[in-house]
Amino acid sequence: MSSSSPPRIAGAILTVDDVTVRFETPEGPVIAADDVSFTVKDGEFLSIIGPSGCGKSTVFNVIGGLLTHHEGTVRVAGETINGPHQSIGMVFQEESTFPWRTVTANVAFPLELTGMPKQKRIERARYFIKMVGLDGFENRYPGELSGGMRQRVSLARTLASEPKILLMDEPFAALDEQTRLLLGDKVLQIQQQLRQTTLLITHNITEAVQMSDRILVMTYRPGKVKRIVDIDLPRPRTSEIVGSEAFGRYVAQIWNDLREEASRGLRDEEAHVLHHEAASS
Amino acid sequence: MAETGRLRQAASAGPLLSPVTLVRVAIILGALSIWELLAHSGWLYRDVVPSLTRIGAALVDLLSHGDYYFNLGVTVGEIAAALTIGGMAGLAVGILLGANRFLSKAFEAYLYYLGPTPKIIFFPIMIMWFGVGPESKIALGTLSCFFPIALSVAAGMRQIDKVLIRVGRSFRANTMQMVWKIYLPAMRHPIINGVRLGLGMALIGTLLAETKLSNKGIGFLIIQAYSTFDMPQMYAQLIVLFVLAIGANALVGRLGGLANIKSK
Amino acid sequence: MSAGAPARGSPWRAFAPAATGLGTLIGFLLVAELLIRIGVINRFIVPPPSEVIESFGRVIVEEHVPRRFLLTLSECLTAGVMITVFGVAGGVTMHRYKLLQQAIETWVAALAAAPVVLAYPLFMVIFGRSAWTIIMIGFVAALPPVMLKTLEGLAGTRKVLVNVGKSFNLTQNQQFWKILFPAALPTIFVGVRLGLIFALINIVGVEFLINYGGLGQLINDLAERYDLPGTYAAITFVILVSVVFFMALEKVERWLRPVD
Repeated sequence: MSSSSPPRIAGAILTVDDVTVRFETPEGPVIAADDVSFTVKDGEFLSIIGPSGCGKSTVFNVIGGLLTHHEGTVRVAGETINGPHQSIGMVFQEESTFPWRTVTANVAFPLELTGMPKQKRIERARYFIKMVGLDGFENRYPGELSGGMRQRVSLARTLASEPKILLMDEPFAALDEQTRLLLGDKVLQIQQQLRQTTLLITHNITEAVQMSDRILVMTYRPGKVKRIVDIDLPRPRTSEIVGSEAFGRYVAQIWNDLREEASRGLRDEEAHVLHHEAASS
Repeated sequence: MAETGRLRQAASAGPLLSPVTLVRVAIILGALSIWELLAHSGWLYRDVVPSLTRIGAALVDLLSHGDYYFNLGVTVGEIAAALTIGGMAGLAVGILLGANRFLSKAFEAYLYYLGPTPKIIFFPIMIMWFGVGPESKIALGTLSCFFPIALSVAAGMRQIDKVLIRVGRSFRANTMQMVWKIYLPAMRHPIINGVRLGLGMALIGTLLAETKLSNKGIGFLIIQAYSTFDMPQMYAQLIVLFVLAIGANALVGRLGGLANIKSK
Repeated sequence: MSAGAPARGSPWRAFAPAATGLGTLIGFLLVAELLIRIGVINRFIVPPPSEVIESFGRVIVEEHVPRRFLLTLSECLTAGVMITVFGVAGGVTMHRYKLLQQAIETWVAALAAAPVVLAYPLFMVIFGRSAWTIIMIGFVAALPPVMLKTLEGLAGTRKVLVNVGKSFNLTQNQQFWKILFPAALPTIFVGVRLGLIFALINIVGVEFLINYGGLGQLINDLAERYDLPGTYAAITFVILVSVVFFMALEKVERWLRPVD
């Protein structure tokens, strides 16, 4: 497929190779992801960070197999994927619980699809509900829960499918800051407990530094890999680490990288608005 | 939903003495006494406003005759048949239009504008096609309920939260699983709402057709009471009919309430 | 319905759906015509579309369609004025007196869902076989949506607008006329449009049922004379009139509605 594939890394469970995605829009073709290549090691927590409009979510959809018209390849444990793969579990940015199912029925959903017997899948679902700290809410409907709790239901549902790789697209974007920090702790704790390989898409630097082993910074349109930063902070981590000096240095370093991209994005947006005003007046 | 909240509030504020209940009782009593006054005043032509006791007697008379239940059965059967045929057709067409943008653009405007036209005027055609028996009433009921159900389902299909579909796909659900576990439950509100509108339309269509031309059914009984100028009987008929119609509507609404437990 | 996205690519792509819709309709009529002519469908049950179209002119001239049309229209407009006046007044009253609203809102909603038109024999007893029977049924059937939408519009006024009014120390009257009513106006328009649609359906239907008045009676008349093409033509005409009426209402509503 590709002539410049990155060197095979021992223990690489996910390999993204020269992925390029083009979209046709009314204003002409847009390159959402340009030649994106990276690997994720078994048990690693990798974050992809970038300004809005850099194509992070496009990468998410390509790896998740929901977007198939791309160039390049994505391999899971050596197997090329073209469509949703059972080794990859996705947690979406948007509210994605089923409002007509209880918490238990929501979490048991992927198990139901595989035809697991009812008693067993309820048992499994309970296990993951407890893991995300929602025990006691098993029979509630999502409408009765807070946004943060609903996002934990989504997380438990994806964990219940026992994916090799947990793929999350800004799962905390819609939550307030405190909830976001506490939920981050929960994710870290689960990730360490399960040694869960995790790929997190985010635009929040604190979140990324707090959780990741490595951070991949993307450029603003077209979305390329700008830099990959190793985060050498001790584990286990909690949100308390946010106050440390080393943490601050990483945040500053990544903000430095991002600022350039974000302001490019901002200028682009402004130009866009002006262009539209000019066109409509 | 706000109404149930208020009702519950009213109930918890004391079963009989809440101001809302008092106002309601006052309105009902006021209306009934004005009615009774009119009935005894003799100002109105003959039996137009019969006294409440005579209406009550007619009501008891009506409900104690097996004859009424036979005619009720006929009408309910016609409505059920109309709702089944029209509902199935509406569901199928609605899903097609909801799933396909091209078809929706090509045909939905026709349904949208034909939907609210008066259907009873098609009754002469239905008689020519299906005869004077129950079939023509079922046909008119079917025609009446098809449109709201089709439009409601089509709109519901388009309103499905796209992320739920992506969730299903990410867990590699097959087509049947997508339909049964995602599309249909996600569309439960518009489907139930469509059935509710459709039920109302089927009821009106069927009964109006019965009043126009038939020899059995509730509509026939009503028009018979009218033509023999048996006013207490007609009031009794209409009261029972409205109670049943509003009850059926509330029942389907309750069904919707069950399906939507606390999912705001 | 939805104003399609601005045309991209060839003009055909923009018109294809509309052309398909119209083409299907014409194709359907042609097939019907053919099947009737070769005798697969009995022409004494379904007259050929060509005959129906031909009889349009005859029906319009011989059956005094313009006069009937004006009669039905004036019934609708009378009912329309009545539902607007009483519906808006009712909605405002319910909004002013919360206790009244709590007591009767569910009743009004039930009436909105109730098959009022089925009580037409009752209206005939009260008002006789006259235009007033028809107008009153249209009025009663179409009143609840106007009341409910008025109430919804007033109650749904954004809190911040009400607070703006309070901050300027408006009197209750000023508050109503300067803040609540203008804010509710778009919703009230929706209610009036729905009400007029209900009124038209019921008015034409009752004209047909009691064999009195305008366009509805025309259909009954022709059907009783067993004038097949005429009946089909009259039904088509009434449907067309209704559709034009709905479209016009939408246009008027959009035109009156402030940008929001």
